[in-house]
Amino acid sequence: MTHRRFAHAQPRALCAASLLLAGGGAWRASSAPPQKFVPIQTSPKSAHPTQNSTAKPTAKPTLKPATKPITHEQLWTRDVLPFVDKYCASCHIGKAKGGVSLKDFRTPDAVFKDAALWERVAQNVGDGAMPPPGSPQPTAQQRRDFVAWSESALSKAQGKILDPGRVTLRRLNKAEYDATIRDLFGLDFHPAADFPSDDVGEGFDNIGDVLSISPLLMEKYLSAAEQISEKVISVPSRAKAHYETDRLEGAGLQDGSRFMSSTAEVFAQHNFTQDGEYLVRVQAWAHQAGGEPARMKLKVGDKEIKIFDVTAVADKPQVYEEKVTAAAGKTRVAAGFINDFYDEKLPEGRRDRNLAVDWIEVVGPLNIARELSPSHKKIIFREPAPDATPQQLTEAAREIVTRLARRAWRRPPQPSEIERLLRAVEMARKDKEPFERGIQLAMQAILVSPNFLFRVELDAEPNNPKASRFLTDHELATRLSYFLWSSTPDEKLDWWSDKGALSKPQNLLHQAHLMLKDARSQALTDNFAAQWLHLRMLDQLSPDPDAFPVFTDDLRDAMKAETLAFFGNVVREDRSILEFLDANYSFLNEPLAKLYGVPNISGPQLRRVTFSGETAKRRGGLVTQASILTLTSNPTRTSPVKRGKWVLEQFWNAAPPPPPPGVPDLPGATVNPNLSLRQKLEQHRKNPSCASCHARMDGIGFSLENYDATGAWRTKDGKFAVDTSGTLADGTKFSGPVQLKTILKARKDVFARCFAEKLLTYAIGRGLTTADKRTVDAIVEQAKTKNYRFSSLIDAIVLSEPFRKKRGDDAK
Amino acid sequence: MSRKSLDRRTFLRGLGTAVALPLLDQMLPTAQAAGATGALAKNAAAKVRPNRMVFMFVPNGMHMADWTPATEGAFELPWIMQPLKNVKSDFSVISGLAQHNAQPLGDGGGDHARSGAAWLTGAHPRKTSGADIKNGISVDQYAAQRLGALTKFPSLEIGIEAGNQAGNCDSGYSCAYSSSIAWRGETTPVAKEVNPRAVFERLFGNGQDGEEAVSRFQRDRYRKSILDFALDDARDLQNKLGTRDRRKLDEYFTGIREIEQRLAYVEKSNFQAGGVRPNGTPRDVGEHIRLMGDMMILAFQADLTRVCTFMLANDGSNRSYRNIGINEGHHEISHHGRSADKLEKIRQINRFHVEQLAYVLEKMKATREGDTNLLDNSMVVYGAGIGDGDRHNHDDLPVLLAGGGAGTLKPGQHIKAANPTPMCNLFVSMLGRMNVKTDAFGDSSGGLL
Repeated sequence: MTHRRFAHAQPRALCAASLLLAGGGAWRASSAPPQKFVPIQTSPKSAHPTQNSTAKPTAKPTLKPATKPITHEQLWTRDVLPFVDKYCASCHIGKAKGGVSLKDFRTPDAVFKDAALWERVAQNVGDGAMPPPGSPQPTAQQRRDFVAWSESALSKAQGKILDPGRVTLRRLNKAEYDATIRDLFGLDFHPAADFPSDDVGEGFDNIGDVLSISPLLMEKYLSAAEQISEKVISVPSRAKAHYETDRLEGAGLQDGSRFMSSTAEVFAQHNFTQDGEYLVRVQAWAHQAGGEPARMKLKVGDKEIKIFDVTAVADKPQVYEEKVTAAAGKTRVAAGFINDFYDEKLPEGRRDRNLAVDWIEVVGPLNIARELSPSHKKIIFREPAPDATPQQLTEAAREIVTRLARRAWRRPPQPSEIERLLRAVEMARKDKEPFERGIQLAMQAILVSPNFLFRVELDAEPNNPKASRFLTDHELATRLSYFLWSSTPDEKLDWWSDKGALSKPQNLLHQAHLMLKDARSQALTDNFAAQWLHLRMLDQLSPDPDAFPVFTDDLRDAMKAETLAFFGNVVREDRSILEFLDANYSFLNEPLAKLYGVPNISGPQLRRVTFSGETAKRRGGLVTQASILTLTSNPTRTSPVKRGKWVLEQFWNAAPPPPPPGVPDLPGATVNPNLSLRQKLEQHRKNPSCASCHARMDGIGFSLENYDATGAWRTKDGKFAVDTSGTLADGTKFSGPVQLKTILKARKDVFARCFAEKLLTYAIGRGLTTADKRTVDAIVEQAKTKNYRFSSLIDAIVLSEPFRKKRGDDAK
Repeated sequence: MSRKSLDRRTFLRGLGTAVALPLLDQMLPTAQAAGATGALAKNAAAKVRPNRMVFMFVPNGMHMADWTPATEGAFELPWIMQPLKNVKSDFSVISGLAQHNAQPLGDGGGDHARSGAAWLTGAHPRKTSGADIKNGISVDQYAAQRLGALTKFPSLEIGIEAGNQAGNCDSGYSCAYSSSIAWRGETTPVAKEVNPRAVFERLFGNGQDGEEAVSRFQRDRYRKSILDFALDDARDLQNKLGTRDRRKLDEYFTGIREIEQRLAYVEKSNFQAGGVRPNGTPRDVGEHIRLMGDMMILAFQADLTRVCTFMLANDGSNRSYRNIGINEGHHEISHHGRSADKLEKIRQINRFHVEQLAYVLEKMKATREGDTNLLDNSMVVYGAGIGDGDRHNHDDLPVLLAGGGAGTLKPGQHIKAANPTPMCNLFVSMLGRMNVKTDAFGDSSGGLL
């Protein structure tokens, strides 16, 4: 499965390549028709915006001539093979430079056989990386033909692949753990706040392959389970008076016990605080002799409570206990020895019967009404009677634990698993702990079990990559709820999956829609959007307070809240995802409104504001929001590079490659205070190894220079007037945020594809591979026919093969 | 009639009332009388001094001109090290060490990620931002895995900055690389704790101050059983999981076993840390570092661990050190381009970090252990994985080695190794002094000291 291995090593490849296949390097596209962007040659020279004077500022789309009915093979022979022989052969046919050999690619079939390698080839040709500068260069048309043929060939190749993929066993991440505990037990408690940070892969913290469990985390799981069980289950706390031998009266001390060698009583004077029921406990042992065990009579005041057979011996004393009803006041609590025995004719050790008492305890009153939480009552839905037998207790525990494990493990538990959990209950019972303590222990065992901590999907053939299967209803419910809610399925979903009816497509969609309307779908905003947009980084940033005194913690919170509210609104109202690119409204409170120059907004709460007048030109869409503008800035200044890179990555899934080693940073202000930031960046780009990537990023960033490092509008940067003109890599010139947004909207399919890829990655918890291209195509197609409504993407993902199916592992 | 007069209950109850005393003084006669048979007590009886290994990491390189002493052998304190004047004879500077595998070696940018990842491993991390991180085992973990049974915690990992939440951290390298210097194995960075309160609770329990020894004993017994059930659950799953899934489950097994070992380890020290429980994370970064240092020292005092890694910041950290008047980000200014202004700020940050080191070393020195002190019985490596922050070089690294290594080191020298000497040579020598004998570690070519 070469294509998978490739995708593994080059996680970006699919994204970049699919961008390319959707119509070429999207960032340099406005000279081409919107649906069919054409890559333009990017030798370092022409890519350098300041030197590229030939490009027309507003190039009119030139439609591609209609393709003649010509076969695939003919095109291969006419366009592709000659291209390879002329431009690639010297490095990639005799030799295998960079580990890439094209010598086997003599027929179209070869391309189908190693689609992954060809995808890389097409990508490099398309974005101008190959042939390298200094080698003979093909014309732009030749590049276009090469890419067009490859696109269609690869689509064919992918059409043949039926691979739902496989996600590695996923543990709950911090957000999921907290949400799950919240929804299982109704607790406003965040045990995961103390857990170590989750590992991040593919831009998200819910990726199975990278989420790991360290011993530190395991410790935290154990301690969280204890804390949760103690918060949810209330164990009757009993006032306890404990009388050790030194506080007992009535018989002599021997071997650390009150020792009765003939008929006698050991007793304590106990003050019963009120009328009620109490538990009296006596730890005792005996020297056994004669034909019967030692007998102990328990008395409270004059009332005889019970006679116990004390079979315990010195090495293993036992606790004997009984409930009593007592009136308030000081009363004698006594344990008496009633069957003394002595026969000197019997052998030593069987001759003398004696009774010893270690301590007496009075626990209670027992029948005080406790304040029980709703979740306590829900879990302990069957409270055993006070005089329940051990069997009755076990039965009650079985019902309770079965129901609890069903919910927490997101599937019906096996009988053997329940037996195991009942051993935890039994442990407490043996220690004479209250019934509820046993349930607490079982609950702890449930919460540290891999069945809770991992989203387990068991396979009959776990290591056969050819064995694919549909998920069970329970597995599907789990995937769905963690996708939309970052939390456990609720009882409604449980009902559907227990019935085996969730997997029916219409039911699945119906549930998904209901879930999107539920408040818990806020998780998509907090977890998906916050990571997609890098919003979590905002917490760690602090702009220089001297340069930006307006920046306060309140403003930081408001920035983040604006973007989250804006995203959440699109989810809730099922609006078009293109609003992320441009919209005429947002959500502001007073600090933000001040920053944006919007009047008449007071107070800390956000409200929807429709932009008008000058503000409408300055604000609207994610790239104009202060959160994004701040998190793509340095503490003392804006960074057009970071802003450009953010747009490439988050909107077009086309991150530039990392900078080569040894690249110097921008010269500091002290070096030449007479250069503006733009001039410094332009100097920087004179270095040809910097130019090609910076041509993609910097122009976009420059168009946002009207926003300072905290997102406030400005017309001057220090002593320099702000210049918002930018040039895309293809030479398109534009200026300011409004024109940038026009370009973004013209590339809406590229954006939709990027968004679909990110959302699918988040949904299925793994990086995408070439085999997933079909799924992404389908999601984008569906979105297009439904006006890019948010739910249309969710529908397509939920119904997709990677979401509903899995196969065995192909790891060697 | 053979009943013991002192049962376990009574004994455990007694443990809860011990008073805080310096470690060895306390462990020697009383602990043996109370029946403790811990390794330290044995060591103390045999007059063997415990040795510790600490690695303190600072990011983004060093202003080398004010770091490297002018002379070999005895030396004047360079500007950055001046805060160490009270412990001048307790540390050596070692120049000329290199982490060859932190270099690109064909992988392009990402020196900060590689510098953190290679610092203690000597391995070349695989360039990836996701699924398939791969590095090498780090020297602290190598030691911990071989010494672990001696102490309640095989090792302690602490730091000041949590791992980043989103995005790849450096030029296509996973955040795991730049935020973890401790690696349990090739694919497993060890999570570090950045909240002093959480460190304290981990070391000394969950904050149930009044919890009686009896109930602590019961709690531990319950914990052990619950973990046993969990292990059974995990075993049930094993056969129906794929290869990659089982790696995840293996981590789970390892986690449980470590806790079980800890529970099995009888509380051999009567150390009580009452009264020093931190409330949370201080806002001031200096205070935060010092408090973390306190936690480390407490852990050593109580002999809860002998191995610690401490990241004063993650590599590539762009923190602004406002407390010393520096508003720009550290990483940003580390690309100084020879700007005098930036160089000045860099060396101030470097010195600020060394001031915190001075606090830790002085406190260790003031902590008595029998006739010696904690610093005498430790080896503290302090330094960065990058030399010059602008050049991103990984040779002639800034490295300082403090402490007496339990009488095995002669501090107070400037040792010049021939640049580039593998830094792992130092590790080989340190491992030997921890009684973890090995001829080779990482890319070592021999020993050093």
